Amino acid sequence: MDGVLDTLGINPGLMLIWGIAFIVLYTVLTRFIYDPLTNVLNERRNRIAKGLEDAAAAARARENAEAEAENILAQARGEAQKVIDEARGRGEDVAGTIEGEARQEAARIQYDAQNEAVAIRNTELGNLRDQVLNISVAVASRILEENISKTKQKALVNSFITDLPEGAKGIGGGVEVVSAMPLTAVEQKRITSEVGADEAEFSVDPSILGGLIVRWAGGMVDGSVRSQLNELTRSLN
Amino acid sequence: MDPQSTIILGKAIGAGLAMIGAAGGGIGIGLAVGGAVQAMGRNPDHTPTIQTNMILGVAFAEAVAIYALVVSLIILFVLS
Amino acid sequence: MNSFWNGKRRFVALLMFLAGVFVALEVPPVIPFIQLPGEKFPEGFDIPLTGIRWTNTMVGSVIVWVVLLLFVVYVARRRPKDGNEVPPGGFYYLFEVLFEGLMGFVGGIAGGRHFRVIFNMFMTIFLVVLMANWMELVPGVDTIGFIHPHVKEKYDAQKDEYKLVTTDGYEIYQGFLGISYVNGQCDWISPAAEAAADEAAIVAASAAAAAAERTLTQDAAYARYQAEHKGHGDDATGEGGGGHGDDAHGEEPLESNTVSLASAEVLAARVAEKQARLDRGCHTGVATAPWQDGYEPYDKSKAKGISLHPDPSSEEAKLVPWVVLPFVRVPSTDLNMTLTIALISFVMIQYIGFKALGIGYLTKFFNFGTLFKSPLGGIDVAVGLLELIGDFAKILSFSFRLLGNIFAGSILLFVMSFLIPILPWPFFILEFFVGVIQALVFALLTAIFMNLATISHHHDDDHDHDEAH
Repeated sequence: MDGVLDTLGINPGLMLIWGIAFIVLYTVLTRFIYDPLTNVLNERRNRIAKGLEDAAAAARARENAEAEAENILAQARGEAQKVIDEARGRGEDVAGTIEGEARQEAARIQYDAQNEAVAIRNTELGNLRDQVLNISVAVASRILEENISKTKQKALVNSFITDLPEGAKGIGGGVEVVSAMPLTAVEQKRITSEVGADEAEFSVDPSILGGLIVRWAGGMVDGSVRSQLNELTRSLN
Repeated sequence: MDPQSTIILGKAIGAGLAMIGAAGGGIGIGLAVGGAVQAMGRNPDHTPTIQTNMILGVAFAEAVAIYALVVSLIILFVLS
Repeated sequence: MNSFWNGKRRFVALLMFLAGVFVALEVPPVIPFIQLPGEKFPEGFDIPLTGIRWTNTMVGSVIVWVVLLLFVVYVARRRPKDGNEVPPGGFYYLFEVLFEGLMGFVGGIAGGRHFRVIFNMFMTIFLVVLMANWMELVPGVDTIGFIHPHVKEKYDAQKDEYKLVTTDGYEIYQGFLGISYVNGQCDWISPAAEAAADEAAIVAASAAAAAAERTLTQDAAYARYQAEHKGHGDDATGEGGGGHGDDAHGEEPLESNTVSLASAEVLAARVAEKQARLDRGCHTGVATAPWQDGYEPYDKSKAKGISLHPDPSSEEAKLVPWVVLPFVRVPSTDLNMTLTIALISFVMIQYIGFKALGIGYLTKFFNFGTLFKSPLGGIDVAVGLLELIGDFAKILSFSFRLLGNIFAGSILLFVMSFLIPILPWPFFILEFFVGVIQALVFALLTAIFMNLATISHHHDDDHDHDEAH
């Protein structure tokens, strides 16, 4: 055993020295480093913890203040909104009124203008039509005057006699007959008998263009071309 | 071959053979650390506990290798 | 970091590199003699108040203690006096960061009632072992030391006397600044071994001559005739540069040219071998061969006169092998330190167990309480006894784990420094971390076992323990 210890280099004396040294080191390290340093570190840790707590409290206070500020801000914002809304409402009213008035005015102006334009157009159109009518009637009269021959006249007189309206039958009394061309005696007799008149006065008026006009005390039958032309003119109007 | 050389030869062979035992310790440490690392990867929250137990296990596994080392040292330096 | 190496500081690294090259060339690296126990200092170096010789591991231990005490003074002066003070910075910061980090670490493992004791123990072991482990990184540790003849006194039981035994070692030489160095290039060869090698060469030469003679046929006579006429001149040239080994040694009867050439070749090889050693600057074993001029036969009586500590500059120094006996060796490579700390750790584990659980702590080992109550009582007894054995095995594993790691580490460092004298840095970085890890493992295992000892096996006590948290 001794040999084993020797060859492994184990020496109880040296081990004892080492043990004492270790214990001394343990004591010194504990006394001068571990204990004080642990205390310092704990103190520092507590201080940091306390600092953190304070910071947390400050943070809480700040949060409260912030919340309050937020409230005030929200209130102010609400009021401002209200004011703005009111203002906007009022503005909208005014604007609506103005707009309505303007629109009415515009409508009125438009209406007036339209009316005026229609009137002007109507007048213009009327003028135009009158002119056209006069021209057309003139043209027609010219054409008719020239074209209604004797035979045509006779046909017209005959058709007047055959198609004599009911009102002109059996009149009695005196009758005035106007024709565009002088009537023959036969024709005069026929007309007198057909009308049933006692007396007949015959006159010629070329301006009636053709046909006959029978007038009596109670009325007249107009079978002239002129009256038909006038009717045409009226219907064009 | 003279007797001194034979003794040295025998010591060297013996010490070398004794250190084969260290392989077991190596395998054990490898398994322990591998398992511990896997466990730590799965739940890192338990790392301190796993680490402590791993070091314990590694120490026990290493002890076997150390016995081999002791035997080897005794063969080399104590036997004569 | 980058700015630190800018400018002039870069030259510091270059200078260190060049110094490394110079030292490697001027002083050939030596593998120190490897032995497990701390090397004892020469006679006359005793530890005061004890009769124990200094060992270089004890010197390392003293350095560790002194460094730690200086460290205590430094920290005690620098540390903040209360929690309001801001730490002063510098190196102290590093320590405080380490201290606080380890405090949290141990608190996570053993943060119970006994945290302070466990942590103090943990930290002390950590610092002591760390300082000791890191010593292997200091230049000069393991390399600078006494030049020491590697001669042992051995007791011969048969003759009842002590005799000097010389073993392996290197040659010694005076080098740079007149300092003595051991020469890593030259293994020491004992004069006896040298004489034996010479004799072996002669035997081989005569064997070669005999072989050559056997091959001689009829022209042997002619050869002899020629040899007689030409005389000894050929013999001299056949030995190639060696001395004129002619008449002093009659064992070569110049029978023929061929025979003498065959034996001369063997002898010339032997002489060339010696010359090569001489060219390397080695001295031992290069005495002239028996067939050369100036040969002094090996005098056995001279060997008996070797003292244990010859003067390195004397002629006698060449007769013994020399090794470097480092002034300082890493204390962790000595069982005295590791075993002591392991024992203290063991004692503390038991102490804190008794402190926490009282006499009930013993039931952990001698668990007879359930022997007659439970069918598994016997197993409990066996487990308890196993724990007892395991606790003692802890001493062994603690001490040999540290010893094995650091011993292997320092051997790695100086072998690597021997093989690559200029660039062993990666291994130094490796050993730096190994030192930290081993210190941490030692301290941490102590803390864990101490914590385990405070925890009772019984469930009612477990409850109590939980409250302590």
